[in-house]
Amino acid sequence: MRNRHASDLTPGVVLALLVLALAGCNGGTVDRHALQRDAENVASLASEGGLLANEVTKDHSTKYFVRVHAKELSDKASNLQDALAERPTSPGITSDVRKLSKLAGKVSRELEQLHLHPTDSNVAASLEQPLSDDADAASELAK
Amino acid sequence: MKIFQIALGILAAIGGFVDIGDLVFNVAAGATFGYQLLWVVVIGVVGIIVYSEMCGRVAAVSGKAVFDAVRERVGFKAGLAALVSAQVVNLMTLTAEIGGLAICLQLLSGLPYRLLILIAGVGLLIVVWFVAFDWIERIFGYGGLCMLVFAVAAVKLHPAWGAVGHGFVPHLDRESPVLYAYFAVGLLGAAMTPYEVYFYSSGGVEERWGPKDLGLNKVNAMIGYGLGGFLSFALMIVGGALFLGQGIEPEFLGTIALGAEVPLGQIGLLLGLVGILFAVSGAAIDTLFSGAYNLAQFLGWEWGRYRHPRGAPKFTVTWLVLLVLALGVVMTGVDPVQLTEYAVIFSAVALPLTYIPIFLVANDRTYMREYTNGRIANALGILYLVVIMVIAVTAIPLMILTNVGQN
Repeated sequence: MRNRHASDLTPGVVLALLVLALAGCNGGTVDRHALQRDAENVASLASEGGLLANEVTKDHSTKYFVRVHAKELSDKASNLQDALAERPTSPGITSDVRKLSKLAGKVSRELEQLHLHPTDSNVAASLEQPLSDDADAASELAK
Repeated sequence: MKIFQIALGILAAIGGFVDIGDLVFNVAAGATFGYQLLWVVVIGVVGIIVYSEMCGRVAAVSGKAVFDAVRERVGFKAGLAALVSAQVVNLMTLTAEIGGLAICLQLLSGLPYRLLILIAGVGLLIVVWFVAFDWIERIFGYGGLCMLVFAVAAVKLHPAWGAVGHGFVPHLDRESPVLYAYFAVGLLGAAMTPYEVYFYSSGGVEERWGPKDLGLNKVNAMIGYGLGGFLSFALMIVGGALFLGQGIEPEFLGTIALGAEVPLGQIGLLLGLVGILFAVSGAAIDTLFSGAYNLAQFLGWEWGRYRHPRGAPKFTVTWLVLLVLALGVVMTGVDPVQLTEYAVIFSAVALPLTYIPIFLVANDRTYMREYTNGRIANALGILYLVVIMVIAVTAIPLMILTNVGQN
C-alpha cells in the first residue's frame, strides 16, 4: 500500500484542518488580550446568572430550566477558573489572571447554588447581589 | 385548505431559516452590535426568497430537484464537489440540530443529556418513518410558530425603535469592522444555508407541483421565508435590548430562551422552549431528508418520502445512516452551538456550488420552456451570485481573524 503523505491530501482538507486548528486554539500563554477576553466571559456568566437568579426570585422560571441552565453556566465558569489557574501568563499580568481565576471559581460556586436550589427564591435573592458584584469586578479586570 | 398549502414554505423557513445556527447568530449579533445588523437579515431574506422561488419553479416545471440539476448541468467532477461539500455541511448541521433538540428537551425535563439524545434520535426515526410528508410539514412548521413569542418579547423589552429603524439602513461599523463583517457573513450564510433549497425543491417534487402551482410556490417562498426573516429580526432585537447592555454573550440555547422569559415570565419561557424545540426538530428533519435527497438525486436513485421505504430503499437507507452517524457524533459530547457556528461558515463557502447550477437551470429553456427567469429574477439572481461569491471567499478568513467571532 502506498504511503500517504501530506501532499496527497486535497487542498480543501488541508485548509479545513488548518482552519480548525487555528480557530480552535485556546491554550498557550495568557496575554493582555486573552485576559480581557476571559474577563468579559466571566462578567457575561455572572450577569446572566444574576438575571436567572432574578427570575427565580420572582417565581418566573421552571425548576428544570434553572437547574440545567445554571449548571451549564457554572461548568463554563469552572472551566475558565481551571484554565486561568494553570496557564502561563505574560509578564506583569499574573496577579490579574489569578484574581480572575478566583473570581470565576466564585461565580461557578454561586451558580452551583442556583443549580442545587432551582426553586428557592430566598437562595436566588441572596445570590443576585454577589453575582452583580462579580460581574462588575470581572468588567474591571477586562479594562 | 389554503393555509395548509403554504406549510412547505413555513417548515422550510422555520426549520431552515430559524434553525440552531440562526438562533445563535441572530441573538449573538444583537448582543454584540445591537440592531446594527438588521439590514443584513433583509438581504439574506430577499436572497433566499429569490433562489427558493427559482428552484421551486424548476421543480414545478421540470420535476427536477436541485441535485438532479447539479448532476445534469455542471458535470460529474464539479457535481461531486458540490455533493461532498453539501453532505459534510448537512451532517454537521444535522448533528448540531439533534444536539440542540436534546438540550431543549433537557431544559424542559431535566433528564440526562445523553438519554435525551437517544430519545431525540428515536423520536425523529418514528416521525420520519411513520408520519406522512404533509403532516410533518404541518406539525413542525406550525409548531415552530411558538417562536413568535420572541416577537412579543422584543416588543415588551421596549427597544429604542429609532435605533431599530436605523439598523435597517446598510452601514459599516468603524469600531470593530472585522467582527462586524464576520457576523454579516455568518448571518447571510445562515439565511441562505443550502439545505433550505435542497429541502424546498425536493419538497416541491414530493408534493407533485406542476406549472399550475407556480403561484403557490411564490407564496410559499415569500410568506415562509418572510416569516423566518421576521423571527430573525425579533431574535436580534431581543439580543440587543436584553443582552447587549448587560454584557451577556449568548453561548447556550438556554440564554436564548431566557430572552423570552425575562419580559414574559414562565409562559414566555415555555413557549420559547417549545418553539425552539419544533424549530430545531424541523431543521433536523430538513437536513436528514436533504442529505438523502442529494445523494439519491445525484446518483439517480429512486427517492421520495411519498414512496414507501421499499419503493426507494437506497434513499431510506441513506437517511437512516445519516441519522445514526449524527447521533454517534453528538454522543461524543461535541457542543452543538459551537458546531453550528462552524457549519454556518463552511456552508457559506459551499454556497456557489449550490446556487450557480440553480441559476443556470432556471434560465435553460430545455428544462423550463416558457417559465425561465424573467428580467427581475435574473437581475436579482446575478446580484446574489456576486454576494454569494464574496461570502464564500471571505467566510473562512473572517472566522480565523475573529477566532470564530470571539474577538
